[in-house]
Amino acid sequence: MSRAGLRGVLALTVLAPLIGAAAQRPAHAAGAGGRTEAEVLRLGERMYRRGILPSGEPMTGVVQGDVPVDGTMFSCQSCHLRSGVGSIEGTVITLPTNAGWLFQPFRGARMTETARARLPAHLRREQIRPAYTVESLARVLRTGVDPAGRTLGPQMPRYALDDDDMAVLVHYLEHLSAAPSPGVTDDTIRFATVVGAGASATERSAMLLPLRAHVAAANTQTRQQERRAASGPFYKEEKYTAYRRLELSVWELRGPPETWRSQLEAYYRDRPVFALLGGVTGGPWWPIHAFCEANRIPALFPITDLPVVSASDWYTLYFSKGRFQEGEAVARYLRSRPDPGSGPAAGRPVVQVYRDDPEGRALAEGFRATWAAFGRPAPVERVLGVEDAPDAGFWRRLADTHPRAVLLLWLRGRDLPGLEAIADRDEAGPPRVFLSGPLLGDDRSAVPDAVRRFTLLTHPFSLPGEKPRAELVTRRWLESRGIPVADARIQSQMYLLGWMLSGVIKKMRHDLYRDYFLDVMDMMRDQYYSVAAYPRLSFGPGQRYASKGCYLVELGPGPKPELIRRAGWVIQ
Amino acid sequence: MKRWRGFTWLLGAMLLGLAFQARGAVAQHAGHGDHRQGFERSVQRYEVPEVILLSQDREEVRLDELVGSGRPVLVDFIFATCTTICPVLSAGFSNLQKELGDDAGRVRLISITIDPEHDTPEVMKRYLERYRARPGWDFFTADRASIERVMRAFDAYVPDKMSHRPLIFLRAPGDEQWVRLLGFLSTRELMAEVRGLLEP
Repeated sequence: MSRAGLRGVLALTVLAPLIGAAAQRPAHAAGAGGRTEAEVLRLGERMYRRGILPSGEPMTGVVQGDVPVDGTMFSCQSCHLRSGVGSIEGTVITLPTNAGWLFQPFRGARMTETARARLPAHLRREQIRPAYTVESLARVLRTGVDPAGRTLGPQMPRYALDDDDMAVLVHYLEHLSAAPSPGVTDDTIRFATVVGAGASATERSAMLLPLRAHVAAANTQTRQQERRAASGPFYKEEKYTAYRRLELSVWELRGPPETWRSQLEAYYRDRPVFALLGGVTGGPWWPIHAFCEANRIPALFPITDLPVVSASDWYTLYFSKGRFQEGEAVARYLRSRPDPGSGPAAGRPVVQVYRDDPEGRALAEGFRATWAAFGRPAPVERVLGVEDAPDAGFWRRLADTHPRAVLLLWLRGRDLPGLEAIADRDEAGPPRVFLSGPLLGDDRSAVPDAVRRFTLLTHPFSLPGEKPRAELVTRRWLESRGIPVADARIQSQMYLLGWMLSGVIKKMRHDLYRDYFLDVMDMMRDQYYSVAAYPRLSFGPGQRYASKGCYLVELGPGPKPELIRRAGWVIQ
Repeated sequence: MKRWRGFTWLLGAMLLGLAFQARGAVAQHAGHGDHRQGFERSVQRYEVPEVILLSQDREEVRLDELVGSGRPVLVDFIFATCTTICPVLSAGFSNLQKELGDDAGRVRLISITIDPEHDTPEVMKRYLERYRARPGWDFFTADRASIERVMRAFDAYVPDKMSHRPLIFLRAPGDEQWVRLLGFLSTRELMAEVRGLLEP
């Protein structure tokens, strides 16, 4: 692809360090109204990302000659993306607006002057446009006419900005992706993966070995990348000199989660990394999430059932919302489907039973939040304490208290003895029961046969045998690298991570900026052939949970019950 | 040896020249360097499938009944996190409704997501609010198989949302033919098409 050629230039990166360094300096931006530089950058960032003027009003402009648009509809970031390096969608290319590109002459290809001088004169392309200045940038934003006199396409809004607002936006663009990201050197991109002491040996090796194999593959030099970068043909400089070796550090976390943040900070100070890859803690993920958010460090596909669920956080891309997503899926299912046994489920009371642990809370919160968003009454909550040990009497009392209820039992197999007591109820009929398949794990036989006909399990992964081709590809890849099949799901997830990482790095070329790393991820195609663990992973700007649905399955009879699909991939 | 080196140099230069030309062609076709303001218009026949769609208000409707409801219809395929194409298309729908004024209710605008995993009814509702949609403009989703069936029926299928195209389909009530518009239009241009549907 000619993305890098179109964009032309080497540029920039993460704003955080700049804001920090600039915080106390007065802004030199003309008309910035005596604001500090940090304030101007903050306001400029808000204009760029959210389309809001310093006054709080939306930015306004015109596209297609006569279509008014404003910041509530879309912003600069919508098309040029957070890094400013631009986007490609179908045949529509949105050019970069980051500092390095804007403030250098544009020739259409990234080529050194020495290389350019070696071209015959008739191929020595002159600049398409000169570097932007503050003045010419203001002109193009208002009129669409660039410094070479070319008129931009009508899809680019012509913004009505006064001098003061223009100065703020231009000042921001002067700093947008304008310095190399930490973790990138002349020959290396440094990554780290986090391993917590709570992770089992199997989880650890299932995560780490495939990841290391991917890094080793990228560094094998089978295509002689380093030789080509040093002495490849001049007309391929742009392609070859972008090559970097990958480095992977393992950041081991010990002690309680509250102490992880300082451990992460220490690792980072010692050797800054460009991004985190994978990772597994065997416990919560929120300390790592918060660390990445605060330092604007991308984290790609951690292995966790307890992601931070947020509509606005940016820097961690998860496989899914984990346990939360299962609760969400049950709410969606109950909301939209009539219950075949006993009329619309929507009219029945809902009771959630769970233990007061992170997984129980996440499942309950997923249901509660989604159910509330549908305007439904809050479910009855029954939280089990450590001393509570449910038995037949417990279940009978629960069913008597809430006849015909929908029971969401976010519990493990050891909490289900005596559950068949809820089945034997002639007058009221059985309740509807939902369980978390992943929380039960291999303990499915703990679900009594008598309740299976009215019980559904969440299953937020591909069904057994659904994706034989992807499973085979992953297995063959592991075999070829001498990695024993351990936890097939984690290995499938890590295989996918490496597969996508190589594509993202290739597409980034020289624009090795953290925000662009995520921007490129966001533009990646949906993945289904390359991942066995999920039916489909999909991406998009700001989409931070790649797998978005969940199956609901019934258990067949016997000690090793078959999973029988009872609802398609629930996504709405 | 020297001749070979010269040949390699020449070949490289030729390839570079071609690369520049190809790059220029892409930019002219689509980028902000585009000086054309045109769009492609054609008349087509489509068999609208009987699929059930779910609106931003979680109302289920059958697409064939929706487009045959006696009003002029405009259909486009968009998604909420789309970068460049959908914002411009949706701003166009928004302004069309504004320009139609009292006639806005006489025209049915149908946006169909091509990212059903992400675009839940709640996401679609917020999207319409952002674009200040008035009654008459609805955003629909469905399971992926149904969405792909609709895209194929309109010859608008793309295997991935990131390769979709700016397309609007228009049809007058009772008409069997659809007008297919490929590209970006001004409100003046779109109004001319819509007026043609309102006053046949």
